[in-house]
Amino acid sequence: MRCCDHRSSRRRCGRRPPLAALTRSGEARREALAAEVEARLDAVVPVVVDEVLRRTDLTDLVLRHVDLDRVVSTVDVDAVVERVDLPAVVQRVDVDQVVERVDLDAVAARLDLDAVAARLDVDAVAARLDVDAVLDRVDLTAVVLHRVDLHAIVQAVLARLDLVALAAEVIDGVDLPEIIRESTGSMASDTVRGVRMQGIAADEALSRAVDRLLLRRGDRTTQAPEHQREPKRADSSR
Amino acid sequence: MREREVSPLPREARPYQRRRAGLVTRMVAAGIDGLVVGLVLLGCYGALVVLLLLIDPRNFSFPDFGLLFSIASAFVVLVVYQTLGWWLVGRTYGGVVMGLRVVDHRGRRPRLPGAFVRALLSAAFPIGILWVVVSRQNRSVADALLRTSVVYDWQPEDRPHHAPR
Repeated sequence: MRCCDHRSSRRRCGRRPPLAALTRSGEARREALAAEVEARLDAVVPVVVDEVLRRTDLTDLVLRHVDLDRVVSTVDVDAVVERVDLPAVVQRVDVDQVVERVDLDAVAARLDLDAVAARLDVDAVAARLDVDAVLDRVDLTAVVLHRVDLHAIVQAVLARLDLVALAAEVIDGVDLPEIIRESTGSMASDTVRGVRMQGIAADEALSRAVDRLLLRRGDRTTQAPEHQREPKRADSSR
Repeated sequence: MREREVSPLPREARPYQRRRAGLVTRMVAAGIDGLVVGLVLLGCYGALVVLLLLIDPRNFSFPDFGLLFSIASAFVVLVVYQTLGWWLVGRTYGGVVMGLRVVDHRGRRPRLPGAFVRALLSAAFPIGILWVVVSRQNRSVADALLRTSVVYDWQPEDRPHHAPR
């Protein structure tokens, strides 16, 4: 039977009418069985595979039995990347949504800012700053007026200033006593002043003349002792 | 804070303040004081005349006290006047006019005994003022004996002195 399933065998065996009918019957039977087996496999195999996969940790199985490095090394990543339309991928990403999901506080908390700052070349950053441009954009007057405690600053400046000495210097510079004397002075005070000054001049002239006569050298010591404050005196009540 | 005083004095007079005065100024001041004493004596004499006239007008005659009494009176009035002036304000009227002040060896107003002794010496030995012109410190005999000084001080009050500016 088996040798007659093939045409070459049939030629060798030679066909006979009774066998021909049997061959056709066998072929039909074989085709029917094949179809039936195929239908049953279609029904059974998915179920079996599902059951096998359900009972098997496929990831673990792959990790244990598959050499992933070797597999990956056979993958032409460049070709894969070339085939990927990255702009399209990026366009499909909702960046806002991604950012919203990111907990920036947590990220910032994990950052070692001290280390970052230590690595920062502040001088270089400052050198690149256009301070003039920054100042041009800042309304310094408004900043000072609104942010600076001018009262405290003025108080501090006044505390450091010797206002009395300053006023005395100004008055000395404009000779205020002379202005007052000129505006309110009387003939009597002018006369007294003149007499006193003439007296002083006469004193000096006479002293010089006598000193010259006595062949003295050097000036006279006419500075009298000074007192700083008039004390309360015990005999003032006498 | 440093204390500074604005001087009311004329600029040209400031360097002389608290320096001992020379003979001319002191003589002028003494002359003014002599006039004051004379006026006081004259006033007293006039008051006495009026009093006598009121008491006994019929037998009134101008009193004559004699030279010695007059000199003694002038001496007393001068001593009292100068003592009070130097003790109370450090200057007599002559000193006020000429801008002079009497100070003791500490630069203060003389005490009453010092003022009295100085007035006594000045009145008894007025020629001692001439020693001012000889002394290298512009001191009279009374100044030399009592360690006092007569200084230029144009300030009206005896205030703490500051170096002239």
